[in-house]
Amino acid sequence: MTTISQPPQPSEAVAQPRPAIAATGAAAVLPRRGGVSTGPSPKDKLLIYLLLAVGSIAFLIPFYFVLNGSVKSDADVQAGNFISLPKSIHDVRWSNYPRALAPDKMDFWPALANTVVITTLCVVGQIISCSLVGFGFARFSFRGRKILFMVMLSTMMLPAQVTMIPVFILFRYLHMVDTFWPLIIPSWLASPFFVFMFRQFFAQIPEELIEAARMDGASNWRIYWQIMMPLCGPVIAIVAIYTFLGTWNDFMGPLIYLNSPSNRTLTLALNAFKGQYGTSDANLLMAGTVVCMLPCLILFFALQKYFVESIAMTGSKS
Amino acid sequence: MSESTPPSPDSGAGALIARSLRWLLAIATVAAVAWSFGEVGARIWRNYRAESKGITLTILHWGNAAEDQIVQHLCDRYCAEHPNVRIVRINRIDPGNMSAALKTMLAAGTPPDLFYLQPSDLPQMAELKLIRPVDDYVDRDLKAGKADWFKDFYPILLKAWRYDAARERVGEGPMYGLPKDFTTSVFYVNVDLFNKAGVPVPYGGWTWDQFEADMKKITALSDRPEYKDEPIYGGFLQIWPDSLRNIIWTYGGDYFGPGGFRDVTLDKPPAQDAMDMIVRMRLHEKTVYNPTGIAKDGGQEFINGHIGCIGPIGRWMVPTYKDITSFRWDCVPVPYKTKHASMMYLTAWSMSAATPHPDECYELMKFLCGQEGAAMQARAGLAIPPLQSVANSPDFLSPPGLPPHNAKAFLDAIPFTPLQQVPKQPEWNQILTDDVARSLQMGKVTPMVTAQQVRDDWLQQLDSPLEKGNWGPMRWNVIVSATAAIFVTIVTLLWWRARREKLGALDKVQERAGWTFIAPWLIGFLALTLGPMIVSLLLSFTKWTGMQTLGHAQCVGVANYAQLLSAARPTFVQSLRVTAYFVILGVPVTQIAALAVALLMNSRVRGIEVFRTIYFVPSVVGSVTLAVLWLQIFNNDYGILNHILRPFAHLLGTTPPDWFGTDAKVWAIPAFVIMGLWGVGSGMILYLAGLKGIPSSLYEAAIVDGAGPLRKFWNVTLPMLSPLIFYNLVMGIIGSFQVFTQAYVMTGGGPDNDTLFYVLHLYRQAFEFHNMGFASALAWVLFVIVLLLTVLVFRGSKDLVYYEGLKA
Repeated sequence: MTTISQPPQPSEAVAQPRPAIAATGAAAVLPRRGGVSTGPSPKDKLLIYLLLAVGSIAFLIPFYFVLNGSVKSDADVQAGNFISLPKSIHDVRWSNYPRALAPDKMDFWPALANTVVITTLCVVGQIISCSLVGFGFARFSFRGRKILFMVMLSTMMLPAQVTMIPVFILFRYLHMVDTFWPLIIPSWLASPFFVFMFRQFFAQIPEELIEAARMDGASNWRIYWQIMMPLCGPVIAIVAIYTFLGTWNDFMGPLIYLNSPSNRTLTLALNAFKGQYGTSDANLLMAGTVVCMLPCLILFFALQKYFVESIAMTGSKS
Repeated sequence: MSESTPPSPDSGAGALIARSLRWLLAIATVAAVAWSFGEVGARIWRNYRAESKGITLTILHWGNAAEDQIVQHLCDRYCAEHPNVRIVRINRIDPGNMSAALKTMLAAGTPPDLFYLQPSDLPQMAELKLIRPVDDYVDRDLKAGKADWFKDFYPILLKAWRYDAARERVGEGPMYGLPKDFTTSVFYVNVDLFNKAGVPVPYGGWTWDQFEADMKKITALSDRPEYKDEPIYGGFLQIWPDSLRNIIWTYGGDYFGPGGFRDVTLDKPPAQDAMDMIVRMRLHEKTVYNPTGIAKDGGQEFINGHIGCIGPIGRWMVPTYKDITSFRWDCVPVPYKTKHASMMYLTAWSMSAATPHPDECYELMKFLCGQEGAAMQARAGLAIPPLQSVANSPDFLSPPGLPPHNAKAFLDAIPFTPLQQVPKQPEWNQILTDDVARSLQMGKVTPMVTAQQVRDDWLQQLDSPLEKGNWGPMRWNVIVSATAAIFVTIVTLLWWRARREKLGALDKVQERAGWTFIAPWLIGFLALTLGPMIVSLLLSFTKWTGMQTLGHAQCVGVANYAQLLSAARPTFVQSLRVTAYFVILGVPVTQIAALAVALLMNSRVRGIEVFRTIYFVPSVVGSVTLAVLWLQIFNNDYGILNHILRPFAHLLGTTPPDWFGTDAKVWAIPAFVIMGLWGVGSGMILYLAGLKGIPSSLYEAAIVDGAGPLRKFWNVTLPMLSPLIFYNLVMGIIGSFQVFTQAYVMTGGGPDNDTLFYVLHLYRQAFEFHNMGFASALAWVLFVIVLLLTVLVFRGSKDLVYYEGLKA
């Protein structure tokens, strides 16, 4: 349900606040800023590297377990033997991967297609709707603007569960249960947090730019599409990544709305490994897990420059 | 995205590789998206085409891969003979999932035509008239003399699917389904362990006294050198509600006395003796394995060869056990005290009352329950075929794919299976499971106290105003008209006021454009936030299963809220306690960790970007994946974490915690917090951005004033970050109250409700017990709590937050 009235979280594991970028957005208005001006001394550097290395191991070791477990036998994984590497290259069970993805287990390909379709539509929807609304709030003065903006921000505090049941009923009356629509439509109706980010960004763009365009006879739509949107690349990147991760990993939404096996998303397919009598096929589950998180990792590595830098850059961009 | 150019790679070759990689990725992405849309589009088109011709029957069932293939095969066979019928098959893997899916489909107004029915769902579904009796069809076949197949069913199975809704009794009234399969309960024994301990395998039956003596002998094997690393247990006694009832039956007792479902007889001598026996062996003599952790259960330990026998359970373990090669196993009867008894687990194919094609449904049902399917199931070892001719054939007694074993033990138990009467309220099983675990698993209270607790909780449930009250229907038309009238009035008033103000032409243009641009959010707000909020408030004053249309909702006033403080109080308070523990522990720890990592990441050293990536990467992993992974890490016996902690714990003279087992009350929540720390990267990024935003002039000024690193942090960094910290704190609290996925996947709320997070409780009430009204009340209570907390944090932080940094 993260898709409804709440921006999707990159990972539900922590109650991690999404918003700080918002604060950065505001900070972006301020003059140029930098970090600490002096570099650390060699002794400090050593300490920093040490801390970083220890932390890295803690952060990476679970990945090692999954990878290692994904090429072991079920008995090995059940007995917790995913710490030691397989004894020889012959003990590496690559066959776990095709077995996990096979139609009688995960039925991977349809689930992948479903997930990609839902995720694509959500990302596109979120970018379009949030930028439109953000533009509206940032660049037009209309009565009720302030109040509505406050209302919008306060809806971020609403637990999704309050509206979960009625929204379910609503989609049921629209005969949309067991279709993708309940998962897609909300992201075309703008999430407050992303709207806030776009608004902060649009608000910084100099008025002269817009005035000039207006003089040339450009309509509001053209200003939005041809002037505003091309400028806000970093915000789009952030919204795209967060929406992608949130939708790709969403569990509650598909769990509630999707019934037929042909409509399953990847998270549901993974959960299906949990059989009737506890988790068996733990090795296959890990193989499935690796495959499912692969796109997230690739996307992050591909866009991480935009991502980390653009968050940091919003501070220095004027 | 192309606007913010990344720092360009220095060398030409590197740039080329980077660029071609990026192109490759872009092409791959486009291809994947195109293929996915094609795939999904083609499927929708196929479904659409198929729907337009002939009859489509949707069937819902559960089952592992073997059962899945059998049902698929049968459907293919049936469709080959009936070309006008198309079957959409939904397999929800396990009964619990299927039951939830079934109810959700009923709620959606799109029930499957045919589905597996369990005895526990029979009373409620029959009473709500959601399933259709098949007596008329059977009678027709009987009269026409075409019902030999029908007479071949075990008579007790036909009786078990009759239910009299008025008298709330199984075994009488109309028949709601055809028996698909069934199993009696037995004990599985590890023949090798029995032989080694010199205990004869009790093929002819055994008493509980014998059982207890045998368990001691087998447990004594642990002293032998070959078992010094892996202690042996004599047996494992299953204490699911059905299994426990089975054991109590063998003592001559039952859950309920002659007085019906109000007459709980757990405190009578037979039930008490049975429970005392279990406690004695599980907790005192320790001859029966007492699993507590989540990742290791008795069934797995039996497979590992560490347990002498396991039961009482049904035939469904045979497909799993058939792969055991390290020892020989077999089936023996359930031990007894005063009389033989076996629990019958059944499944039927049942027909939705709403199906537009009852004739075709009946024909398909007949086929699915017929000879061919029964024989296939028998050969797979899944259950006992309901047809006597198949059950007594080699297909069941000595199926080719299975190791030779005493399959006859299952048939021999049939005469000793009483019909099980179950109350229609799904809460019974929940109450029983929760209360019984406290004495039989945790040893916190005596069986007598448990018996009283079960009775008290159950009667409170039955007598709660919500359950007993005779409520009138919710008058939706009045309410909707009133709400609509209020809404229209407000909008008209606002519009009228707005009209009175004179606006210039330019202002008018601005106004129109502004409203147009924010329209998407406005629609979303009205349809997906404000509207649902009002509906949820209204629903919290109703009693409604969600399995029928809204018109069936009954108006109960504040009874749902009263229920929170009476019958439902223990679980409500428990879920609040668990959630509060998580918030109080988790929010500060997570925020401090995020800030600390961000400070580290802000240091200017070479290669810091790589570390940033490493630290952020766990945040991109989905929570289901995460939950499954950590389940392995936290495993109390095999998990890596306890592997590391064990030496330290030994130094302190203790053992590492059984995170989600016996120590769950204290340690389960910290475990969730530790899991959360792994995702600290996304919080780190946010703080990092904040740190980058602090003007360096402030630090320079501080250095001029002679401030050390600590003073700089305390006097510059912290105040400048305070709005961000405050904001994260608020969002962290809100987020922590909404934790769901990890608990749902990892623990399901157990053990003993020690991980029953608030939202998990809410989800279960809404989508598993189908108390939609009550769940709405829970949701509103959550909303009020979060609101109050937010206000409190705002108040408390007024003097602590320095807003200078954000004023602009």
